[in-house]
Amino acid sequence: MLIKIAWRNIWRSRGRSLVVLGSIVVGIWALVAAVGFMNGFIVGYMADSINHDISNIQIHNPEFKRDKEVKYIITDAETKIDKIQTWPGVKAVTSRVLVNGMIASPKKASGVQIRGIKPKEEARVTQLDSLIGDGAYFEGIKRNPILIGKKLAEKLGVKVKSKVVLTFTDSHQNLTSAAFRVAGIIESSSLNLNEGYAFVLQSDLTRLLGVQDAHEIAILTDPQVDESIIVTKYQSEYPGDLAETWREIAPELALIQEMYSSMLYVLITIVMIALVFGILNTMLMAVLERFKELGMLMAVGMARIKVFGMVLLETIFIGILGAPIGLLLGWSTMFYYTQVGIDLSAYSEGLESFGYSSILYPYIENSTYWTIAVAVIITAFVGAIYPAWKAVKLKPVEALHKI
Amino acid sequence: MSVIKAENINKVYNEKTIPVHALNDVSIEITKGEFTAIVGPSGCGKTTLLNILGGLDNPSSGKVIVGDTEITKLSDAELIDYRLKHIGFVFQAYNLIPVLTTMENVEFIMLLQKRPKVERDARAMQLLEEMGIGDKANQRPSQLSGGQQQRVAVARALASKPEFVLADEPTANLDSTSTSALLDIMAKMNEEEGATFVFSTHDQRVIDKARRVITLEDGKVISDERR
Repeated sequence: MLIKIAWRNIWRSRGRSLVVLGSIVVGIWALVAAVGFMNGFIVGYMADSINHDISNIQIHNPEFKRDKEVKYIITDAETKIDKIQTWPGVKAVTSRVLVNGMIASPKKASGVQIRGIKPKEEARVTQLDSLIGDGAYFEGIKRNPILIGKKLAEKLGVKVKSKVVLTFTDSHQNLTSAAFRVAGIIESSSLNLNEGYAFVLQSDLTRLLGVQDAHEIAILTDPQVDESIIVTKYQSEYPGDLAETWREIAPELALIQEMYSSMLYVLITIVMIALVFGILNTMLMAVLERFKELGMLMAVGMARIKVFGMVLLETIFIGILGAPIGLLLGWSTMFYYTQVGIDLSAYSEGLESFGYSSILYPYIENSTYWTIAVAVIITAFVGAIYPAWKAVKLKPVEALHKI
Repeated sequence: MSVIKAENINKVYNEKTIPVHALNDVSIEITKGEFTAIVGPSGCGKTTLLNILGGLDNPSSGKVIVGDTEITKLSDAELIDYRLKHIGFVFQAYNLIPVLTTMENVEFIMLLQKRPKVERDARAMQLLEEMGIGDKANQRPSQLSGGQQQRVAVARALASKPEFVLADEPTANLDSTSTSALLDIMAKMNEEEGATFVFSTHDQRVIDKARRVITLEDGKVISDERR
């Protein structure tokens, strides 16, 4: 009967209940959308950085990390790669030869990191081949092909098949220059890929540098794998090398991830606080309007705890009704925009200067829907406590004589 | 046999500022099966006395004994439970639960008492039939006239067969036809079910029907007439 009364009480003042219901629905929808969009920015940025640039794990000669000298190579890199590839949780491995140098066109010169890669292995680790916007992935150019970012190409004023000259110091400390021809232009929101890197074939670079082994091993792991386990395993087998996860390589990404988790709860808390006052206000009005009736219930013998429970139930019912509608609306919005993306090209210049993509794909984890749903029910509960308390503090004899 | 015994009841409002003596050394005794009217002009203390007899209000001094229990010594929670198990209330403004049907309103007290559904349904239907509103069982209070609503309130008060029913000006909002019909029903319940009724009223029609009339004036009992 208590449930029946509480349920029917909701529909006594249909308009008012619908306002509360509406505020819950809009609150949840706005929260899902805000979390999804915020998530889209961060996850997109992190995914771009990890999947297309840093990779999950990198291995270097410890000296190379301190001083990027060409001589600090990883000894027996290929043997180590062959072994790592057999470890569980490892999806793909590749080696890189790295050197800092200059890239010059007839028009302009710029500082870059020259990355000597193995095209097939690199594509498996960073999907670099999928980022080619113009030209082809090391195809169409017979000798010394090079891939550069779109922004760098614009800066140098070069196109596919244009000639550029790379200048760097080789392993014998001699300044070396070589001509390369642009095979493809990379299109990415990543700042490094866009203008910081120049990709050449590893065989070309090792020849020019005069080194035999690689400077970097990059490992792509399965998403559910804890990278630190592989790092620990590698370190125990090869203590002379330095293995690091992306968190150590790019601590700013780890910080963003941590900040995002905190921001999510801050955002939920802000929306829920607003909601709590809406619910409190409406339920308080509902209780004040029914002083006489509540007084009668206690006069005829309804225990105060039951009156308290009845007011709580009314609010929780509204929360239970509103939560799925809001979540469904939020989920539909997310589903739609996950497919088509949100075009932020009007702000692309600003976004790209921070390494963000101009097409935003919102993203929300399933567990976040549950977090929001639980938060709403708790909010409804919290919002109803004061009105319910006000109801049970009534003196029946006074309430009955209220006009 | 005494059902309610009020001894030397005093009720003073605003004790710390300007004291108002609502009841002044009132002592009454109601026995089982009585049909009693507490009468007097407005402000004489009728409702205050009824509230104290029903455990809705505490006296400033004196005691109320119902059966073997001194209810003036009970805690708030014990009083709520006591009212639920022993007293039926009829209010001037009917005070039905608007979201429940007539039948559900009558069943409500029995439900709080955790009586089985079969018993609840049978008793509620029986009372509604006796009140002449059996056909209104599934209607909400807002669909009933004032007289019909007050009949539902009487049925609710009697449903759990309480030791006594306290009715605070039950006919104040009713027209003469409804008043007459309601009084007939209450008198019938008093005779057939042996229900003890105590009214506060200044309605002459109720006074005429009562078999005992206690008159209050300025918070004092000035007469106690049995007919």
